[in-house]
Amino acid sequence: MWINMGPQHPMTHGLWNLRVKIDGEIVRDIDPEMGYLHRGIEKISEDRHYNEIITLMDRTCYVAGIAWEHLYIQAAEKALHVVPPERTLYLRVLVEEMQRLASHIMWYAAFVQDLGLMSPFLYGMRDRDLLLDHFQSFTGGRLTYEYMRVGGVRNDLPPGTTDRIRKTMDWLMDRFAEYDRLCLGSQIFRTRCDDLGVLKAKDCVTYGVTGPMLRAAGVKRDLRKDRPYAAYDRLEFDIALADTADVTARYLVRMEEMRQSVRIIRQVVDWLDHHPGPVMAANVPRWLGAPYAPIGHEGYLLKRHYSKGVGLSAIEEPHGEATAYVVNEGGEHPYRVKFRSPVFVNLSAAKSYLVGYHVADIPPIMGSVDVCVGEVDR
Amino acid sequence: MSVQSLYGVASLIATTLASLVPGVPGYLVTLLADLIFGAILLAASMINTIVLIWYERKLLGRFMDRRGAMHVGYAGLLQNFADGLKLFRKNTYMPSEADRLGFYTGPTAYMVSSLVIFGVLPISTGWDNGSLPLSLLLALVIFSFAPLFIFISAWSSNNKYSLMGGMRSAAQMIAYEVPILIAVVAVVVVSGSFDLTTIVMEQQNYWFAIPLVLALIVFVAGMLAEMERIPFDLPEAEAELVEGWNTEYGGMLFAFFMLADYLRALIGSILIVLLFLGGWTLPTYVPSALTNFPLAGIFWFMVKTYLVFGVFVWVRASLPRVRTDQLLRVGWLRMVPLALASVVLAAALVVVKCLPLIGCVPGIGS
Amino acid sequence: MAEEGVGALLRGKLPDAVLTVEPFDGTLGRVTFAPSHALEVFRAVRDDLGFAHLSFVGGIDWVAEREVVYLLWSDERKAYLLLSTRLDAKDAHVESATPLWPSANWHEREAWEMVDITFDHHPDLRHLLMPDGYAFHPLLRSFKLHEPEELEVKTRRV
Repeated sequence: MWINMGPQHPMTHGLWNLRVKIDGEIVRDIDPEMGYLHRGIEKISEDRHYNEIITLMDRTCYVAGIAWEHLYIQAAEKALHVVPPERTLYLRVLVEEMQRLASHIMWYAAFVQDLGLMSPFLYGMRDRDLLLDHFQSFTGGRLTYEYMRVGGVRNDLPPGTTDRIRKTMDWLMDRFAEYDRLCLGSQIFRTRCDDLGVLKAKDCVTYGVTGPMLRAAGVKRDLRKDRPYAAYDRLEFDIALADTADVTARYLVRMEEMRQSVRIIRQVVDWLDHHPGPVMAANVPRWLGAPYAPIGHEGYLLKRHYSKGVGLSAIEEPHGEATAYVVNEGGEHPYRVKFRSPVFVNLSAAKSYLVGYHVADIPPIMGSVDVCVGEVDR
Repeated sequence: MSVQSLYGVASLIATTLASLVPGVPGYLVTLLADLIFGAILLAASMINTIVLIWYERKLLGRFMDRRGAMHVGYAGLLQNFADGLKLFRKNTYMPSEADRLGFYTGPTAYMVSSLVIFGVLPISTGWDNGSLPLSLLLALVIFSFAPLFIFISAWSSNNKYSLMGGMRSAAQMIAYEVPILIAVVAVVVVSGSFDLTTIVMEQQNYWFAIPLVLALIVFVAGMLAEMERIPFDLPEAEAELVEGWNTEYGGMLFAFFMLADYLRALIGSILIVLLFLGGWTLPTYVPSALTNFPLAGIFWFMVKTYLVFGVFVWVRASLPRVRTDQLLRVGWLRMVPLALASVVLAAALVVVKCLPLIGCVPGIGS
Repeated sequence: MAEEGVGALLRGKLPDAVLTVEPFDGTLGRVTFAPSHALEVFRAVRDDLGFAHLSFVGGIDWVAEREVVYLLWSDERKAYLLLSTRLDAKDAHVESATPLWPSANWHEREAWEMVDITFDHHPDLRHLLMPDGYAFHPLLRSFKLHEPEELEVKTRRV
């Protein structure tokens, strides 16, 4: 019997359809149907100025907007031959790690909700709000930030932010222990999640699976370490690893990643306190150009940089390896923008980690994948 | 049934009626008194259910670090009435391919069968239904109708999720019916009666929860499964089955399911209080001031019931959901042996007539 | 050092297949190969050079030509390698990479529906993001979203 889990279904966390062939309660075959959230971001980008694409990036993954901004900005800067100042690199690391925390906490909330645990869902939302408050204090947005610019970031942190962030980090570290007690301390959680949705290291590599799913299978790959970008090579942190490759392992990896993020953020705010400086590269216009403003308008940007170029960037997004490929053929708009969404690939391997389990296992397994349909469909 | 056979409040109503309107035949007076008593019971149980929902929302809110309902009425007390009103005003839609008869009778029968049980449960001295020697058995029998009605409504919804939910519900309820009944046998063995009133009266000296703790555990776990509350709410596991067997229901029919679920939760809590926690009585050694006020029985009964339900809410706030096969495995392989062991213990207790902590009780098993 | 290394290695192995090798910022280089030799290149890159992880496959429309870009990652080298091949727009087809890297599956489906590049021997080449039967290829340059004038805000009040 084929059943449609989606596009309107509590399991999907977004708009997509998982067609499941079931035999009793056992999953025999699956067929994901994507595209319900396809907005053609790659196409729209061809019609937009470089800085205008930033707003699209926030909407690519709605829980990790700033990570996608970071990804795009790095590629665009390479394509446009702009070098951002050093303080900007640290600021970008700060916001990316805070975004990783927010995304992982959001994941935790949604994941435990899929298991039927109700309270931690609200604990997660409560704690994520603290991070969103910080984002709001210096980007103005809580979900779509538009913080990064080609050549830097929009503004520096307001005074006192670093201290407030430190306080939040202390609070979060205590909460992580609480999260663990609620999940790992529960016998039911362990019986539900152990040996569930197993995707071994070999299969992970074959299917191109990245991010926490890959590290939960014991493969030590993290672009922040392997191919350091921004300021990651100057910061100390460890790669979170687990080896059972099941849902519990993914939970453990994400939890450890959050702790490592806190560690990174603490280092970054210490650095930021002692190294003031500009946050925009010189001679790059600060403001977004108005759409189709006449040439010569002060907001009309990046005129000087229209030499051709191709930019490739890769970051360790909260969900995994995200890459952007920006082709600059001169002119006002990028010629072609291609994004690799980690969830896109992780989801394309769904058959290998869903078939054979129970229908009731689908929500926790998909929860452990951390599906963000916005970036799958783009 | 004559006026004399009615108990407490019902007979009070009957005598009042007879004195108000003299000359009416006795059977009519009895009938009217029964009807009025039934209406009072109905209203009381419905209001209690709605307050129970409010209580759960508030308690759950506190567990979740939020406030729960708080805007309609004092502390949100009227919120559920507003919600009920909203559901009442909603259109009821039926899927075009659904089976009309089953689709409408399922929720109605589920609701009615849950309500009927209240006619059997004694709430306090005088607030019972008269002498029903097998009231416990009757309550459990009606209680176990539910999977049938759930399955009827699930199947007639003509929805795959509903069907899966219905199947799960039937499997789960039948699997947990067995340990519940066996655990009840332990109580019956010790108290020597199927009459709930007698069972409560037997607990004057000590609550059955103490000697029959094993049966209590089995009963509570089984009741959780029967009520379909979180860890065992997989028939309506919203993560994978949307809403399980009531997926296709909306408006008042959904409200029927919702209300019936809470009615059953209330009944479950009441049964636990009656069977294991001494019902409306307090142990004889507590100060008499605690029991010497009007409606003390009902007061203590409600306090206990709400505390028991609070435990269920607590469980709901802190446990994830289990999987069907795990649930059934626990039900058949753990619960049934545990329940059987509790019966053996109860039988031993009756023979030995002594308890480790309480000492020897002469009245036990009489 | 490694910039030229991998590309040169590949060129030495498959002199016919590899057309150009150029440095590319952030990778070990960008290797352009002839589409007719796609499978050999894939095999050599995966099995001999150890690029086990295919990051993405993307299509670019250059009007007269279509380019397919492959981004590969090697855990041993801890670096990316960019492969690229140019196809004739009139007959844009190339051997599918899916049999070697299953992760290419959805990327190739997307490139097929977006940029109209056919991947031979792809196991499941059907629409992914667009509805079934969708007749257009949105990421072609000929697919115009709108002319800029259409978006101009009419400021004059009526």
